[in-house]
Amino acid sequence: MCGLCGLLGTEGDWSTSIASALPARQQRFMRIALANKILSFFRLGLEDFQGVSYVLTSPTGRREIVSDFGQLWRVAETLTGRPIDPLDPALLRWLSSAPQ
Amino acid sequence: MTTISFDLIALNVITGFLGSGKTTLLRNLLASDFGNETAVLINEFGEVGIDHLLVGEIAPDTVLLKSGCVCCSIRGELKDALVQLFSRRQKGEVPKFCRVILETTGLADPAPIFATILTDPMLRHHFRLGVIVTVVDAFNATLHERLHPEWTAQVTAADRLVLTKRDLITDEAGDALQKHLERINPAALILTGAEVKPQDRLLLTAGLHDSRPEREAERWIQNLRSRPQNESDNRGVLSNHEHSTHCRINSFCLVFDHQINWTAFGLWLSMLLNRHGQNVLRVKGILNIAGADYPVAIHGVQHLVHPPVHLPRWPDADRQSRIVFIVDGIDQEIVEESLRTFCEYLK
Repeated sequence: MCGLCGLLGTEGDWSTSIASALPARQQRFMRIALANKILSFFRLGLEDFQGVSYVLTSPTGRREIVSDFGQLWRVAETLTGRPIDPLDPALLRWLSSAPQ
Repeated sequence: MTTISFDLIALNVITGFLGSGKTTLLRNLLASDFGNETAVLINEFGEVGIDHLLVGEIAPDTVLLKSGCVCCSIRGELKDALVQLFSRRQKGEVPKFCRVILETTGLADPAPIFATILTDPMLRHHFRLGVIVTVVDAFNATLHERLHPEWTAQVTAADRLVLTKRDLITDEAGDALQKHLERINPAALILTGAEVKPQDRLLLTAGLHDSRPEREAERWIQNLRSRPQNESDNRGVLSNHEHSTHCRINSFCLVFDHQINWTAFGLWLSMLLNRHGQNVLRVKGILNIAGADYPVAIHGVQHLVHPPVHLPRWPDADRQSRIVFIVDGIDQEIVEESLRTFCEYLK
């Protein structure tokens, strides 16, 4: 729970419901870091917002609140105006050439 | 992770194309031991509901969801009906049922029904997903498949396939149909006939969200291992050997020897389903997750992924991850390359 606003830090998305030995906060930041590796291909950036949601920022400075990872890609497509496709060969080439 | 443990009510779905024998199967189920502690919802498309009258002789509290199909136009009514049923159960107005069976219209796509349960903030704390039973009319299967896309959605979404009217076709055609169903939905259990026998307990129990998910998962693993590695099955071997050229559905199984990073996999699958969910008819698999001692079972239908289930053990020494995809118009090689790239470079 966030001490400032009293919001419960829970997400309804399936990909965050798996049990892990890592603290939830640490898992959350790992997830954001990996998502940013993908999103940087589209010049987007994702940040944590109060431990309960996320803020997605476009290269022009537009910012959108994203409640969970189930919504992320849909909002990203709206911000960029282009499909976010994991089967896109250009994205795969970029991921495999990006520094680890 | 701290969890609260209490009994959730299983919502099972009986679906199948028009005239396939859903109501007959339902009547037989209710007349058997399964009928105990079972509430029934029936959805009919026509102006005048009939099926609930047939079933009502056996289950007098049957609720009829009429004037629309439960998968699209009356999903709100499904929620209301489940809430009312639960409320009556808690007040003691109806016996304490432990499962609900929903018989859909013959035109329903089962996936949105489960989405109603999974996404509703009230229902998901009282109901859990049971199994989807799809009744397949063996005599008309070829015709239904060719003419009605709903048939494919129902077959690919199924956990159990019940073949009816098998006696109306030749043994050769029946065997070909069964093999075809195994190919387009390799993870489903296939049963023959609408008669309910004591040994058919798998029909409505032992799903992945049951109290013993490992039993269902072990059955999956056996099914997945029986398929050649990375085999792709293009559809087309229909019961009458007629090739269905307009269909592009195929299923394939990807096998991974190394452990999978769950975060990378979750990002990849959520991206894939966001962009291609309409064409990813089914995803089912057992994953060896990095950092976890035991496997995780995943299960998705179109855009919807069920909560992943931790299994208490591996059935044997094999630690490979296996994921089956049933897709429409998507190449296996592209999916495999994409998933392997994400797993290898997203760390």
